[in-house]
Amino acid sequence: MLALNRKQKKAALTVGHWLLNLPLLIIILLPLFYTLSISLMPAGDIYSNRLIPSEINLQNFYDALFKNPIPRFVLNSFIVSTAVMLGQMVTCSMAAFAFSFLRFRGRNLLFVLVLATMMVPGEATIIANFLTISRWGWNDSYHALIVPYLTSAMGIFLLRQNYLTFAKELHEAAKLDGCSNFRFLCSIVIPLSRPALGALGAYTFLNTWNMYMWPLLVTNSAQYRTVQIGVSMLYDIDAQALGLMMAGVVIVTVPSLSIFVFMQKQLINGLMAGAVKG
Amino acid sequence: MTTSKALRTRPRRIHQTFWEKMEPYVFLAPALIIFGLFLYYPFIRTIYLSLFLTDKYGMAKVFWGIGNYTSIFNDPSFWRSLTVTFEFVVMVAVGGLVVGLCTSLLTATKYPGVTFCSASYAMPVAIASAAASMAFRMILHPTNGLLNILLGTQIGWTGDQRFALPVIAFLTVWLTSGINFIFISAGLRGIPPELYESASIDGAGYWRKFFHVTLPGLSPTLFFQVIINIIQAFQSFSQVKILTEGGPGDSTNLIVYAIYRDAFFNYRFGTAAARSVILFVIILIITLVQFSMEKRSVNY
Repeated sequence: MLALNRKQKKAALTVGHWLLNLPLLIIILLPLFYTLSISLMPAGDIYSNRLIPSEINLQNFYDALFKNPIPRFVLNSFIVSTAVMLGQMVTCSMAAFAFSFLRFRGRNLLFVLVLATMMVPGEATIIANFLTISRWGWNDSYHALIVPYLTSAMGIFLLRQNYLTFAKELHEAAKLDGCSNFRFLCSIVIPLSRPALGALGAYTFLNTWNMYMWPLLVTNSAQYRTVQIGVSMLYDIDAQALGLMMAGVVIVTVPSLSIFVFMQKQLINGLMAGAVKG
Repeated sequence: MTTSKALRTRPRRIHQTFWEKMEPYVFLAPALIIFGLFLYYPFIRTIYLSLFLTDKYGMAKVFWGIGNYTSIFNDPSFWRSLTVTFEFVVMVAVGGLVVGLCTSLLTATKYPGVTFCSASYAMPVAIASAAASMAFRMILHPTNGLLNILLGTQIGWTGDQRFALPVIAFLTVWLTSGINFIFISAGLRGIPPELYESASIDGAGYWRKFFHVTLPGLSPTLFFQVIINIIQAFQSFSQVKILTEGGPGDSTNLIVYAIYRDAFFNYRFGTAAARSVILFVIILIITLVQFSMEKRSVNY
């Protein structure tokens, strides 16, 4: 009797929690399910205001992949995001190494200068950066999309915090054995800081994949357009092709969601470090 | 042990070779060059441009002093843009706080399915603002969109002065709900469980515990999160560009969109630069407020 009561109580508590969660879950998840649902509809369903497809129809995905340059946008974004991610890993580990293991004149001043960059919103410098890139004739190129993002104060800060936990004796011992700083960084520091590098990598790849304003300004042709720009422009091409647009949204969101699903821990660690920035 | 080490290292430092002196700067060079070209230089250049009349290629032509600023301050559309931005920021900060608090409190206890709920609430962190804006374009579609189907209406949400800004704010709250959830949940886990235990022993109910243990323990996190939301709201762009293009009638002309419009529709790079400086100053003030409040809250 008592056991049953406790069971009932527990069941009631679970139901109660779910009832409270339900409205929030609907607000968060419905936009995604609705997008997926529209993308799978035959054109007629959309205009007869259905919410669930009458049959699963892959025409929109076929159109998105074979009649529109979406695969090209995906390729561009992969190239740009991978390059930015690897570039930040290299420049940030090198700078973080100098800031945590080496002593030199002006170290504190330079570190403050690096941290100060976090106070400047990217939107406030974007006009001047656009003018620089135009003057160099870099419009419509991969380097315009990649080079400005090859380092980040947040990455340097994240890795430096990590390196500071390493024993200084490790560096002293390596130096006595005649190990150069560069070799020490590559063969000891980087392997030991893999979790922090993973956090930086997942966060940077996702941020670059999701970037909108900068690629909008510096790309003009489909050849260099990234996913977010490409998908948002589907509307300008054909405002009636709602199913196609939603298929495009699904295609470009799958990689973002995959990072979230498979690298959730790294991503959240990166986000926690990154939110120090605005 | 320590003395022998000191003896060993001291002579090395005196006879540092040229390479040993230069090496740290070599390690810093890649990062500093990128910062120099794409952060420090454009920052100075933005301030410089804001003091000039520019041609349509963005070249500084005539020194104009604070002319760009006075013309912006005398322009009623700037004040409208600023008012709209402030309204938007308040909506996003309040909405973000409410959603973040509710989602994290609801997943703070253990029950079947709680992992699913947590994962769902965190998920918007991965979704791009542009992709979400496109999804909302469909949801808000005047004739075939989900919202109108559910309400049985035919409202052009993004084309109506009354709805456009709240709709953009709702989307922004949706986009930031993931990061709010992650941070506020972490803050909740940081409250020592002993506090709840002793409150229970004292006979405190759920709401008493909420107001006397949870809220005070969470207040530094909530404050930090509100600041982050405010700064992010000030920087919003894709939602406006994709859904409303600043309209209808400037009702969603948020400050970053106004910068974009000035530079790329009107080719007025000087005033766009001045607006950028104003954006920078606003965010600087918010950051400084945050720093000073955080310093104060460490004392208690």
